[in-house]
Amino acid sequence: MAVEKRVTSPLLEPSSIEKVAEVDDHVGVAMSGLTADARTLIDHGRVESQQHRFTYNEPMPLESLTQSLCDLALRFGEDEEGEAGMSRPFGVALLVAGWDAEGGPVLFHTDPSGTYVKYEAKAIGSGSEGAQTALQESYRKDMTLKEAEVLALSTLKQVMEEKVTATNVDIARVAPKWHLYTPEEVEEVIARL
Amino acid sequence: MLPRPQSHSAALGPGCTGPSLANPTPLGLEPRPVRHASQAPACGAEAFVVDPVALANGQPRKHTQYPYVTGTSVLGITYKDGVLLASDTLGAYGSTKRYKAFERLRKVNDACVVGASGELSDFQFIMRLLEELSDDDFCMDDGHRLKPAEVHSYLTRVLYNRRNKMDPLWNSIVVGGFYAGKPFLGTVGMIGTSYTDAHLATGFGNHLARPLMREKHRPDMSEEEATALMHECLKVCYYRDKNSINRFQLAKVTADGVSVSEPFALETKWGYKLFQDPAANAVGTW
Amino acid sequence: MAASLPMRATVPAAGSGVKQHASWSPYDDNGGTVVAVAGDDYCVVAASTRMSTGYSILTRNKSKILTFNPKCLIASAGMQADMETLHKVLHSRHVTYQFNHRRPMGCQAMAQLLSNTLYHKRFFPYYTFNLCAGLDEQGRGAVYTYDAIGSYERVGYGCQGSGKELIQPVLDNQLKAASPLVLPAQQWLSSLPLEQAVDLVKGAFVSAGERDIYTGDDVEILILTKDGIRTDKLELKRD
Repeated sequence: MAVEKRVTSPLLEPSSIEKVAEVDDHVGVAMSGLTADARTLIDHGRVESQQHRFTYNEPMPLESLTQSLCDLALRFGEDEEGEAGMSRPFGVALLVAGWDAEGGPVLFHTDPSGTYVKYEAKAIGSGSEGAQTALQESYRKDMTLKEAEVLALSTLKQVMEEKVTATNVDIARVAPKWHLYTPEEVEEVIARL
Repeated sequence: MLPRPQSHSAALGPGCTGPSLANPTPLGLEPRPVRHASQAPACGAEAFVVDPVALANGQPRKHTQYPYVTGTSVLGITYKDGVLLASDTLGAYGSTKRYKAFERLRKVNDACVVGASGELSDFQFIMRLLEELSDDDFCMDDGHRLKPAEVHSYLTRVLYNRRNKMDPLWNSIVVGGFYAGKPFLGTVGMIGTSYTDAHLATGFGNHLARPLMREKHRPDMSEEEATALMHECLKVCYYRDKNSINRFQLAKVTADGVSVSEPFALETKWGYKLFQDPAANAVGTW
Repeated sequence: MAASLPMRATVPAAGSGVKQHASWSPYDDNGGTVVAVAGDDYCVVAASTRMSTGYSILTRNKSKILTFNPKCLIASAGMQADMETLHKVLHSRHVTYQFNHRRPMGCQAMAQLLSNTLYHKRFFPYYTFNLCAGLDEQGRGAVYTYDAIGSYERVGYGCQGSGKELIQPVLDNQLKAASPLVLPAQQWLSSLPLEQAVDLVKGAFVSAGERDIYTGDDVEILILTKDGIRTDKLELKRD
């Protein structure tokens, strides 16, 4: 997963913008839209995932986790006792990426309507149309991790207005464990573009 | 082996919470009599025993801790085209023959009868539950009725849930029925222990009648053979169980429905020498 | 003389002031033995079918095994009513798991779930002694053994119930498990061929049936391999 962090002011500290997050050590999400809403979803996903580990001593299947996020996304407008329920839909789309014990790497896309769809490669956000076309042209099922890093970042680069640097993009992978790239690792990928 | 932690409740035994926690019982703290090895469970820990005296604590009793008016054994056998249930009609108050015409075999619907031993007021309560279910079935008016296996499963849950509340329904219940061309015979005990078999008996019947059934029962018996076996079992139970009387009922479930017989008596012989002069060899008695 | 007989109840002397009436226990021991042996590519699970209370046999044909799917089952001894309830709870949990996750529950997931389920009744425990057995993700035999309140451990073979004291030493001897103290850790899976493992289990039950009054009648044997579940039956003495 590669995400752009829009640095809107030179006074802004780029490392404080969080557009990819870890849900469990086998699941990460990238977000686009009202990222504040994504916090609620991610917190929910983290709890669900840990609950699954507690009950079954196994990582939660990706589809089940995505389903539970979408269930929450549809729960707006209901009277919830105690915990304040949402009065409006979540304004955020997510890419849920992870590693299933049986199925290997999995990618889901969820949107504010609570729909989820499985993808092999997916782009969301302001530049998603161009990026999706680019992905369609270059994606291959048998890519190596290194090739995938280059594809993700070069696709992102095509639709970004700024120049790609280690400060204005984040890269994360689940292969098979979650890892958020350090600035040095991002530099290394940029060098390979 | 179950570890034996410090008791949370003296009344209930180790590792077990219950009503006495909310209601501490000084009486329950007194040491309980040591149980003989023969009564201890063979595997795992000591079974937990509730001492009713310890639970009462001077308060009005809210839980049934012992039965008052009781019925003795209920017997049941399957045969070629149905099921027979039998019991006497006594409701005993301790060893007093208090109610001599209490019908302990009751129809649930066209495919099912139940028979109960143990506390008869609890049985009447259980019958009320079953009648409510049957009434609901009637009101639905779709021709569906509870199957015997469903009645049995339902009663299992009712009795098990009441034992979980430490307020048991003091009964052993036999469920007999006929559904989809097959006889059904099952039983439930006061703590929810349940099973099905080709023949069964509650209480003393398990000791007195079951051996006879194991010897003579066949699943392909005719109704006459099954009735004869049942009569023999009833007679043995009557001879040996002092809490029984010679006034029996027989319930039959077949494809044609349920019938519970009028009470009848069996011919008995007490003319054995030892019966006629039981004190002959016992000096000091009369 | 009379005092040495196993009396079922003691009758207080007249006028002693002790009131005697029926008391009850929410627990009962219905006996029975369950055994499971894990091999490199199989798992053998066996359970006696006798159900007793005290010195009485209630029925000779009561299954103690609940099969969830071809790779996971549990076998329980102890109190029948608790066992039945536990089985119902786990069955419904398995069904909902399948709805939620679109796949049958694996053996290790069921093992954890069983532990949680038992521990949730820590202060009014299910009086059941369980084995969870099946095949793991790699297709190897898996056996998990429990106490009544949910402590569990994966083992190469296990035995629970009234015949445990008789059968466990035989399995220890014949399957020659390495001690968990030996370092580096030894594998504890049975290297016996399947048929020999089945014979061992049968032999163990025949022996237990000789000496344990709660083990008898029939033994239900399930053999799990990658090809599915095969069942076998062993008849013991009906005495």
